[in-house]
Amino acid sequence: MELVLFVLLLALIAVAAGFVGSLTGLGGGVVMIPILLIFFGVPFPIAVGTGSVTILATSATTGAAYVRDRLTDLRIGMFLEIATVPGALLGAALTVFLTHANLDQALLIALGFVLLAIVPGTLSRRHEELPSGVVPDARSLRLGFSGEYHDAALDRPVRYQAAETDPALGVMFGAGVVSGMFGIGAGIFKVLALDRYLRLPMKVATATSNFMIGVTAAAGAGVLLAAGYINPIVAAPVATGTVVGALVGSQILPGLHNRTVRLLFVPVVVALAVETILRGLGLP
Amino acid sequence: MTVSVPPPHREELPDEAYRRMTFVLRTGLLAALVLLLAALGAYFLRNPGASSGSVLSANPIAPYLSLAGLAHGLWVGAPEAYLALGVFVLVATPILRVATGVYYFHRGHERTMALVTGTVLLLLVLGVLVIGPLIR
Repeated sequence: MELVLFVLLLALIAVAAGFVGSLTGLGGGVVMIPILLIFFGVPFPIAVGTGSVTILATSATTGAAYVRDRLTDLRIGMFLEIATVPGALLGAALTVFLTHANLDQALLIALGFVLLAIVPGTLSRRHEELPSGVVPDARSLRLGFSGEYHDAALDRPVRYQAAETDPALGVMFGAGVVSGMFGIGAGIFKVLALDRYLRLPMKVATATSNFMIGVTAAAGAGVLLAAGYINPIVAAPVATGTVVGALVGSQILPGLHNRTVRLLFVPVVVALAVETILRGLGLP
Repeated sequence: MTVSVPPPHREELPDEAYRRMTFVLRTGLLAALVLLLAALGAYFLRNPGASSGSVLSANPIAPYLSLAGLAHGLWVGAPEAYLALGVFVLVATPILRVATGVYYFHRGHERTMALVTGTVLLLLVLGVLVIGPLIR
């Protein structure tokens, strides 16, 4: 394919992926990576590198707004990066090793199953917006993992206290491995740790997860870049397009029925995941 | 509904820390995207007959991944070197944000948090400078 056409197509599809990704909360990479692999014939590690660069760009866009609005708990986010960053380094190194060992097919199958695992988490939403009965562990108390933010919907300040840090660190390490290995944000897993174990309010959990995603992606992207697996001719249009799509999506998000969009989007992700698995199995 | 356990007192990071981190994220992203898009345009002009196959089979920034290679490429105005620089800036943006955190925790005499974020910073730098080149 002629290069200019290739780049324009990538950018246009990335705008759509970023747009829908921001509406659903899944992120653009969940769609873009299988599309790069299936329809554009992009090699697995280059697709993963592109995904990492895309996360860097989108998380810097939305992350900056959350930090400015003080929804992000910087202290908790930075503490948990001690688990996500080694995970991402390991994940990216695994991708490079498995690619060198000609095990791309296994990576495709694993990616397909990870995409399928993300879907249920996207559909379910916790009923409890503000947690109650939180019992902090010793580390949370010692490091001051608590805070306060102004909830615009409730029109009042909300105070919170973090709970179990040990299991949260474990889940964060796993999220880091997934992010580094497959170039996706793995925000679903991060929010799970912040919500279920640390018991943070959902708005703080989402903002803190977004804040952490960029650093996790930087760990994976750093390894892949130095290993020669970030190709900016692919990554630049995808990252730019996804940012544009995400910005447009975030502007019109309040006027849309989010759950409907999510339900429409899920079959697309499932279809791409199944196709990725079939490719990994060598089936047409 | 609020939490049942009253949060203990803690020293908040200063407003300046939040402002600096927002500035780092926005400036880094803008600089990286401008560099990438401008260099991509220049790459098209220099390689009018290029195809997607040729770009996918050989990463055009491969010669510019070392410091010496990058410096030389930038000096001679190679678009591929500017593409590499754009990616470096994008990867460096969150790393710089972590460095900002280390500074503010250190300044606030929070030794544990400064140590934790300092370790994260070290791991990030090791990923780019040691792990990536080693497994290449």
